[in-house]
Amino acid sequence: MSMGPPPGSPLGGPAASGLPFAGIPPELAERAQRILDREPDHTPEVPAFSHRAPAPDPFTFSRFLWPSRWPLALALVLVAAETAALLAGPLLVQVGVDRGITAGDMQVVAVVAALYLAVIIANVGLGWARGVVTIRIGERLMEQLRNRLFRHLQRQSLDFYEREQAGVITTRLTSDVENLTALFQEGLVQMVVQGLTVVVIAVLMLLLDVRMALVVLVVVVPALVASSLWYRHTSARGYDLVRDRISLVLADLQENLAGVRTVASFHRGRHNTAVHESLSEDYYRANLGTARSGVAYGAVGEALGVLGQVAVLLVGGLQVRAGELSLGRLFSTLLYLGLLFAPIQQLVQLSTTYQQGRSSSRKLAELLAREPTVVESPDAHPLPSIEGRLELRDVSFAYRTGPGGEQGPLVLEHLDLEVPAGETLAVVGPTGAGKSTVARLLTRAADPTAGSVLIDGVDLRAVTVSSLRNQLGVVPQEPFLFHGTVRDNLTVGRPDATDPDLDRACAELGVDDLVARLPEGYDTAVHERGVSLSAGERQLLSLARAFLARPRVLILDEATSNLDPQSERRVESALDTLLQGRTAVIVVHRLSTARRADRIAVVDRTAAGGAARVVELGSHDELVAAGGTYASMWATWESHLSEAERDGSAR
Amino acid sequence: MTDLLGAPGAGAGAALPPVRAAEGLRLGWIRRLWPVLAPQRRVVVTSFLIGLFSLSITVAVPTIVGITIDRAIASTASPLGPFLIALTALALARSVLSVAYRYGLYRTAYRVEVDLRTLLFRHYSGLSFGFYDRMQTGQLVSRAQSDVRSVQLYLAVAPLILTAVISFLVAIVVMLATSIPLTVVAVVALPGVYVVGVALRNRLFPLSWIIQGRQAEVASVVEESVAGVRVVQSFAAEDRQLREMAQAARRLRWANVEQGLIRARLAPLLENPPRIGSVLVLLVGGWLVVEGRLEIGAIIAFNAYIVLLQVPFRFLGFFLILGQRARASAERIFEILDEEPDIADPPDPVEPEQRSGRVELAGVRFGYGTGPDLLRGVDLTVEPGETVAIVGATGSGKSTLARLLCRYYDPRDGRILLDGVDLRRQSVERVRRSVVVVPDEPFLFSASLLENLAYGRPELAQVDGAVPDEVVAAARAVDAASFIEATDQGYRTPVGERGYTLSGGQRQRLALGRALLVDPEVLVLDDATSAIDVQVEARIHRSLRRLRADRTTVLVAHRLSTITLADRVVLLDGGRVAATGTHAELLASSARYREILASTIAVEPGTAGDDPAGDAPAGDDAAVDDAAGDDAAGDDAGAP
Repeated sequence: MSMGPPPGSPLGGPAASGLPFAGIPPELAERAQRILDREPDHTPEVPAFSHRAPAPDPFTFSRFLWPSRWPLALALVLVAAETAALLAGPLLVQVGVDRGITAGDMQVVAVVAALYLAVIIANVGLGWARGVVTIRIGERLMEQLRNRLFRHLQRQSLDFYEREQAGVITTRLTSDVENLTALFQEGLVQMVVQGLTVVVIAVLMLLLDVRMALVVLVVVVPALVASSLWYRHTSARGYDLVRDRISLVLADLQENLAGVRTVASFHRGRHNTAVHESLSEDYYRANLGTARSGVAYGAVGEALGVLGQVAVLLVGGLQVRAGELSLGRLFSTLLYLGLLFAPIQQLVQLSTTYQQGRSSSRKLAELLAREPTVVESPDAHPLPSIEGRLELRDVSFAYRTGPGGEQGPLVLEHLDLEVPAGETLAVVGPTGAGKSTVARLLTRAADPTAGSVLIDGVDLRAVTVSSLRNQLGVVPQEPFLFHGTVRDNLTVGRPDATDPDLDRACAELGVDDLVARLPEGYDTAVHERGVSLSAGERQLLSLARAFLARPRVLILDEATSNLDPQSERRVESALDTLLQGRTAVIVVHRLSTARRADRIAVVDRTAAGGAARVVELGSHDELVAAGGTYASMWATWESHLSEAERDGSAR
Repeated sequence: MTDLLGAPGAGAGAALPPVRAAEGLRLGWIRRLWPVLAPQRRVVVTSFLIGLFSLSITVAVPTIVGITIDRAIASTASPLGPFLIALTALALARSVLSVAYRYGLYRTAYRVEVDLRTLLFRHYSGLSFGFYDRMQTGQLVSRAQSDVRSVQLYLAVAPLILTAVISFLVAIVVMLATSIPLTVVAVVALPGVYVVGVALRNRLFPLSWIIQGRQAEVASVVEESVAGVRVVQSFAAEDRQLREMAQAARRLRWANVEQGLIRARLAPLLENPPRIGSVLVLLVGGWLVVEGRLEIGAIIAFNAYIVLLQVPFRFLGFFLILGQRARASAERIFEILDEEPDIADPPDPVEPEQRSGRVELAGVRFGYGTGPDLLRGVDLTVEPGETVAIVGATGSGKSTLARLLCRYYDPRDGRILLDGVDLRRQSVERVRRSVVVVPDEPFLFSASLLENLAYGRPELAQVDGAVPDEVVAAARAVDAASFIEATDQGYRTPVGERGYTLSGGQRQRLALGRALLVDPEVLVLDDATSAIDVQVEARIHRSLRRLRADRTTVLVAHRLSTITLADRVVLLDGGRVAATGTHAELLASSARYREILASTIAVEPGTAGDDPAGDAPAGDDAAVDDAAGDDAAGDDAGAP
């Protein structure tokens, strides 16, 4: 089962579905195919999802690496050997100069050169082994991290998704994880390589000549360290700023793309471009800030490089002139000095990677520390097979607004409502009065601020979320279809459904002809959010999806309001089949649907701007007879109909 | 790209000339980037010259060190002091110069990145909707993110590499002047670096495509989970999503590991040949010194030169990889830039004599993409001030007609006139100011309610100050003022992404208010009140009329209450106008109209008791098929 790419496709994924950017340019296709031919079938293990909060595991980079400590230790050993091979060179040069060249013994020079060559070959082999080990560790960790983050996202409640921008969430799983990969692959490993190099060089220098070594280690190195600390401090802030600003740029772009029609309609192209440009300029300026400190730091490092040589030439040179030091030791120290500055300069370049990785790591930690507002209690039990009696008992509700999750004004207050098993209840009321909130509470997309929501007398908070949702069918107002085939979309709630199951469900709902008409039946691909299907077809598929899940209770945010009459009639008929024998709560926008319900609850504010509660409850006839809010809504509705009805029936 | 932003050379970002398709993409993607690079050339050239200065000092230092050793250390012929003072002075001078040239180059790269982002953004905002109908937002954002970034990285590194290459050449000359055989052995192994580099490039280039595709795959899974979160949660389909992610993450991991293994094998081979140079310098240089043909300081100088020569070669591999990435990215960026907008301003836009809102369609034929005709010759005139309802079955092209009126698309055949002038002969801006379409699922931006309402009039949404009366009046007119004022920050309340914290009806009312503030001559409501209660709908229509009696209104109607608000009803059937008249007239005269309305009545209370399941419409296949195209274009809210 895969809504993603079929395993055999060249690039896989959305890119392979005949869109532009289908991927690899033709001249590379053959080579790419040769690579892909080596790819095995992936069958990643996926532990079952649970809403229960996992054991607390705060995210830090070191905790993240801990499980891989043994392979990492192996990598460290390889790194150490590699460094030793790299640093043996100048020591050999010292021997070659003092015992060979200065002594005029070419045999020694030849032996030293041969050893030097052997060391280089060892370095190549060790470098390869280290590369293999680290890439395998790093990529396994990143895969785990992606899955962990995504699992965490799946646990988040609806309000999280309403507050966060989609682009920002996506950035966490893409750029931020990639930055962390870079931190591990290039950053961490290289830092160990270079750090070790620095330490070993320091020791070797001391062994060669204490006075020269002291000049380097007491004067040159502290100056480098001081400037490094300054740079680290400045650039840390700089990179955070850069990352914040690029997020804003991308979020702005994302929104402009998603709302492209509105942008065009209101002729905001120029204005929005100006806004985007100013966001980009902010990003540019943040980049310049980091460039300035980076360049200054680089220059200081370079100057110290030559000044260090000057110092060594002074201290060592005077000793050589006085005959107290061999020329070979001076050479060797100069060579090590050169090798000392290269890793330090590389460490500085790596600090970019490090800062970015650190900043990403912090953002990921923040995300992973985020607790969903709907939390499964540790002693929640699975909901047994239900009859379907629903109850809202003295429920009040306020949305949490703002990033801190502060409570907004009450939307519902002291709301009581009971739906017996098997009943169809319509919830009507003015827009914005809280009809949809009622549906949200019943499905536990949110928990009430006060009071309780019960199903068969059991508080929803006492049962596991999946056992609840498995018995509840929810049809959201907007029929969302996933990228993938019609089958993928229909079986969302029942992944094990077979084709005969699908056939039966579609036939019962009267959507079999729709499926029959699709070019490849159930295997027809629906494009992004199902755009190649009409609104009516999407709704029918969305109903079929709910039907196939065979829930005991159905919560439906009426979505039939924007269809043409024929599609609407099909949807209505499918809906009737769907409702048979089930408890149903329908958030109604059209009174024609309300009338067909067993009972109607009118949800309205009791005071302007206040919270809503159930103001009327009863069957259609009762409420019309009662002459309240519903009756007046109905009267308006009916006045629009009478003429058409009269003429229509006279036809 | 010009239609929404004014002609090239005018408007906000006039500094950027359009990037046009070059005939041979192979010939050099850098050349295609030239229009973005050109404004930076003076800074680049200056920085580059300063860089050469700085680098010649770098090249001089090892030779001076070698001479110092020979003259003042290995022998005592000269005093040590003057040499060391000269070296110190050179070191300080070089630092000042290197700050100047590096900053100049970085600044240029960042500038180009920002300009490229702007260019892409502008191009995006000008592209036709046919393009968005087939693209995924995730892919488009990735163009502007990873791809622009990889081009920027390359541009930042390229000049540094170039200066390193030049210093390499200068160093070779200096080395040759010291000793020809020693120079030969020092550089003899370096071509190996090139050979390995080519092998690396051949293997990594196709992989970098695969990897970028798979990164986009991961992004798509996340985006879809975010956009479809309601469905995922409702159907407890988290496991399914987790499997999607597991698969995408595993596929990405595999490709990344492949890439890493190739690097692990080849990168050490790329780095070590220069060290072979060091070995040979020791061997051959030692022999030359022993023979008395070379002074010993040259061994130190040559070792320093090899370290210097390592730099370009060490980075050459990295640079080659960056180049591959940047080129792949640039080509994908060009793919976007090569997309031509179908809807553009005419060379000489015609301004109608009078803006009264008269709409006329003559023989309009239209279908989406390469699909079949949806409209097969529509003739229709709507007079200024008239309210016309368009009624039709599924796939009759009602919404499509609405989209043609504001020129989201051009007809295949026939003409659409606004105030007597063909839409294609008017400026797009003017058309869109005159005709506003309000869709049934409006898109709201992550901004305040005020900013959303004033979306077409940004000057009304100043950050400070009171909410303009005009905005409040519009909000009242569309019955939105009460719920807005009930929120804790009133008009300044931010709307959650895509306006989810608002109900469907509230979103529709905001969209109506947004359209109203633009005060267009022609208002097209594409079922724009579907989620609004009937009484409120009627009230809103009364206020709309009160605010501007001469406004032309086209209603795409899906429900009876909306039809009854119109002066005249147009029945769209079989891609043509089948009948037109008042609601009553059509009821009396058109059987087809009654048929379509009757299907409405069947689900409305008048005939309750019927079993709608028993007489589901049997056929109308063609019509439903056509609706596919209709909807393909419809859903702004469709992109996550």
